[in-house]
Amino acid sequence: MDPAAGSGALWVGLRRRSANGEGGRGTRRVRVRCRRGPPGCRAPGTMEPAEAEFLAEKELVTIVPNFSLDRIHLIGGDLGPFNPGLPVEVPVWLAINLKQRQKCRLIPPEWMDVEKLEEIRDQERKEDTFTPMPSPYYMELTKLLLNYASDNIPKADEIRTLVKDTWDTRIAKLRLSADSFVKQQEAHAKVRWGRLERFASSVLGVFQMPCDCVGL
Amino acid sequence: MEQAWLNEKFAPELLESKPEIIECVVEQLDHMDANLKRAKKGDLKVSVHHMEIERIRYVLSSYLRCRLVKIEKFFPHVLEKEKSRAEGEPSILSPEEFAFAKEYMANTETYLKNVALKHMPPNLQKVSLLKSVPKPNLDSFVFLRVLERQENILVEPETDEQREYTIDLEEGSQHLIRYKTIAPLVASGAVQLI
Repeated sequence: MDPAAGSGALWVGLRRRSANGEGGRGTRRVRVRCRRGPPGCRAPGTMEPAEAEFLAEKELVTIVPNFSLDRIHLIGGDLGPFNPGLPVEVPVWLAINLKQRQKCRLIPPEWMDVEKLEEIRDQERKEDTFTPMPSPYYMELTKLLLNYASDNIPKADEIRTLVKDTWDTRIAKLRLSADSFVKQQEAHAKVRWGRLERFASSVLGVFQMPCDCVGL
Repeated sequence: MEQAWLNEKFAPELLESKPEIIECVVEQLDHMDANLKRAKKGDLKVSVHHMEIERIRYVLSSYLRCRLVKIEKFFPHVLEKEKSRAEGEPSILSPEEFAFAKEYMANTETYLKNVALKHMPPNLQKVSLLKSVPKPNLDSFVFLRVLERQENILVEPETDEQREYTIDLEEGSQHLIRYKTIAPLVASGAVQLI
């Protein structure tokens, strides 16, 4: 299995059998080892990408509003005051909503810059260990910000590619180290180098006894 | 609340119920809801508050749903644990959850009896649910992040050649370890499952 395959291809294998070779009648696709159930009903012990995104949306990002509003007192904390033209920090879920209503302009976080990301990617490729990433939610943040606010972010496509490359490299490393962990039947592993993304635990799936470890 | 949600999500067994957190969150949500109904002015403020309420409500319902899934999965063991716990120990089920679990057990027993057991020879008509329903797998590995420094955690060996050894957990570090080893730390809040 290609260790650098994206997360969508992890546990779904497709077997296709076609009688006439054209994909018409007689074609049968069988999904093997598919672990995705309806959202919210999956077994405890795993995290869906949507939930990782939910957590990522709590991170703070800077916006420049074009309206004014005095402080709002949310259950989670206070926000504001909002003055047109003055940057203010808000959680990502609010920033995206305001952007969709065209009430603000998003300022990309300082790590979302082509040179910095190239550096990180190169370092990740050189080292065997994990490089510290600028934010534990870099993957989700990139996806969200580039989907909704790509006009506010310079060189959006390059950034997307760089982040995806870095992520692929990290996932491959994660799988290799988890593989060796299982093979050597270790009882404990410490992530020494930097911090893993939240989504890493769902990518690896649930670790049961070494013999029924799925996906490795 | 979020800490409790994440811990519950990743733990293989049902954790302690946290009625204080849930009550506090529900109270805040109701309070905010009432405020919004009264104050109809300021479209933006209202919608921002509304969005936040929805997000918090999602976390709360996901937490409760996760607990219910675990109760349904492990119901005989959960009820057994509840029956055998000592007086001073905190309960793992809230009163409503306890009622749900008992009802679920009664329903399952009735169902099994009506569908299959009643047609079997008399000496086979009892089924021990405790033995037939799988126990939660406390040996599964979990990822965790350390919130408070811990020393001398004993790690049991996997194979016969290894020996047991102790490790120290530093604050802020991340580990992958069997759930059984750190279960008491999760209960006390010294580590956070991720």
